[in-house]
Amino acid sequence: MGMSYRRYLTGERIYGCSKCKTHLAALHSMVSRAFNGQHGRAYLFKFVVNVIEGEPNDRPMTTGNHTVRDIFCCKCGTTLGWKYDRAYEPSQKYKEGMFILERNLLVDVQ
Amino acid sequence: MGLGDPGPSSSTNGYPSNTVSVNGNGVVCNGHVATNGTIANGKSNGVHKLHRKSVMRVDLPGTMLYDDDDSFVNREEFVRLVIQSLRDVGYTESAKTLEAESGYLLETQEVAQFRQYILHGHWAKAEVALTRLGVHDEASLLEAKFLISEQKYLELLEANKTTAALYVLRNELAPLDADSDHLHMLSSLIMCSDPDDLRQRASWDGTLGSSRHHLLNNLHRYIPSSVMIPPRRFSTLIQQARLYQRSRCLYHNPPSNSTAFSMYTDHQCNKSALPRLTTTILDGHVDEVWNIEWSHDGSYLASASKDRNVIIWQVPSSHDWTTHLMLKDHPYPVGCLAWSIDDSLLLTSAEHFIKIWNTKTGVCLRTLEDHTETVTALAWLPDGSGFISGGLDRKVVHWDADGKLKESWGVTAIRVTDLAVTPDLTRLVTIGMHHQSLTESSAPPRPPGDHAIYGPGGGGGIGPSTAPRSSNNRLIVYDLATKQVLTSVRMEGELTSVKISQNSQFALINHSPDEIHLWDLKAGRLARKFAGQRQGRHVIRSCFGGIDGNFIVSGSEDGKVYLWHRDTGALLEVLPGHGEGSVNSVAWNPRHERMFASCSDDFTIRIWEPMMSETADESLTDAGGASMAEGFDKGKDRSRQQEQHWNVDPATNHSGVSGIDGASS
Repeated sequence: MGMSYRRYLTGERIYGCSKCKTHLAALHSMVSRAFNGQHGRAYLFKFVVNVIEGEPNDRPMTTGNHTVRDIFCCKCGTTLGWKYDRAYEPSQKYKEGMFILERNLLVDVQ
Repeated sequence: MGLGDPGPSSSTNGYPSNTVSVNGNGVVCNGHVATNGTIANGKSNGVHKLHRKSVMRVDLPGTMLYDDDDSFVNREEFVRLVIQSLRDVGYTESAKTLEAESGYLLETQEVAQFRQYILHGHWAKAEVALTRLGVHDEASLLEAKFLISEQKYLELLEANKTTAALYVLRNELAPLDADSDHLHMLSSLIMCSDPDDLRQRASWDGTLGSSRHHLLNNLHRYIPSSVMIPPRRFSTLIQQARLYQRSRCLYHNPPSNSTAFSMYTDHQCNKSALPRLTTTILDGHVDEVWNIEWSHDGSYLASASKDRNVIIWQVPSSHDWTTHLMLKDHPYPVGCLAWSIDDSLLLTSAEHFIKIWNTKTGVCLRTLEDHTETVTALAWLPDGSGFISGGLDRKVVHWDADGKLKESWGVTAIRVTDLAVTPDLTRLVTIGMHHQSLTESSAPPRPPGDHAIYGPGGGGGIGPSTAPRSSNNRLIVYDLATKQVLTSVRMEGELTSVKISQNSQFALINHSPDEIHLWDLKAGRLARKFAGQRQGRHVIRSCFGGIDGNFIVSGSEDGKVYLWHRDTGALLEVLPGHGEGSVNSVAWNPRHERMFASCSDDFTIRIWEPMMSETADESLTDAGGASMAEGFDKGKDRSRQQEQHWNVDPATNHSGVSGIDGASS
């Protein structure tokens, strides 16, 4: 894979991993706050950085069936949320390629 | 004076050998002498004899050395340079004979006299002589007179003749000088307590030192060179030819400079002397190898791996490479390595940790945790007093040699991705990502008036990275002493590695995509680009290598090693061998100029050397291990000679060959 540095985001508000403060996402790429994860409230982002994706699997969610992958912090390995590979419901298609980060696992970083 | 034993030059014509009649100053005494150095003797066609017991003078047609080619070598100039060389080395009789035979004089009696005036301190006579030597331009005359009076002033001060010195200062120097600062400096020297103090403060080595010779050399500037030939002119010209030929020699990497250059033929190194054969594969890591660094004495190689270990390998003195030490216990993959100047310590970094290891025992002496983000660079100060670390937390920190925090430079403008200290200890060169409020979105808005150049989208190192990478990267050069920013240049693409040439002039910077830039730190401009290697997503490093840093070598994401000629940018070799993944870093052995190493994602390190049986050096023809070691030792010795050679005569570096010259020390 080679050596690469973690990415750093800039913007008015940056969310990082609560455990190791690795930059994950910026406020301006947030799509919605109205999601729920395993630990309560979760945010939907268009872009995230510094995460490793797990294997895809199908999960039934409140809005229907989805193919998702868990995402992990690339530095400390904490499970942070998931990525939508595919939404079976046409109304949920917009989420494909987007990421869920659980609010309780995020901290503000700069 | 007679010539008892005829030299070869006086009898080459087959005429009976005769002596040349010359006075003490080396000037033919009979008759007048013209200022252009030609004996104003009777001209005649063909050969005729000078009066008295003289050598036959040969009169040749035309003015060129060879009239049938167009090299435009002026015969008079050529002959006078030969005469000068002969005199310099002590072949005075041959020089006299040549003067007589050619009719050209090295210099006129006036010049010889002028030289004596200066060397014997006859200042008034010297000043008068200036005009006779062709210094007619008013400004030049004043400057030359100033130099003479300055010497006179300093000598009087040195002799403690303060009153006389003051007189010179007021009546000779003050009216001449345009530069009041310089005059102030000179007048302040009156306060010097003793001659030693004077010599030190004036950077002048005294009447009995070489100061008069030095003055003479400075006066050369004002006297037409045809009248007074600059010293060792022939040698200077040959040196220029040597440098020119060397700059054209793509494979230049001889073990010794002196033996590799003969005037009999144009210099050209053999390609087979280039290290392009893998002679050893070091297999000890269990994950990607990200960085390598030679010890300064060239006998150890440290390697840093994603497997969280550092291995110190020992260069074999007889047989196989061995593992000297395995430095474990890094909490994260290891990215940086730096040997202390005396090689007793090794710094390593893993994420935001820096560790200091004893390289004899393998004991970790300290762990430094002041950085809050990944440490990306560790650089010892060339004087060994400490080291500097840089990180993605935008910190540059100065530590002493024991790892005590000396000074934090505060928050820099960039997230540092690499840094280096110039060998002359004057500058700190940093590269990194410029920190500014650029938003990261699918179409990053550009701040007004900002001409950011955005790198290639996607391809991020980790994770999905659907966001495009806005690149706002910079090279920032600091004055090491004052911490002032000397240069701040925006650069396209991600910057992953910076190395400095031995002469402190050039910075070698790896860029994505696919470029390496040679940046001239003195001129503040791009000097050359090297292209061919692949670099898009990973931290790829390059380095200088070989004699005088004549080569550039880099890793590449295509798994190959790329080797260029520094001064022409010519790609010399693309070396396959490593397996799948990137070649992350390369390092040229600082002592064995024909050996470098590369490290790769394939978990291995490769050692590259020339094909021993074909090397130009005869002593290396035996490919056996023992003779290899012997060869190394010789290389080592030669490299020291090399260094000394350059130190003794640094002026040779400046003698006017075009192009980039001399990463030599």
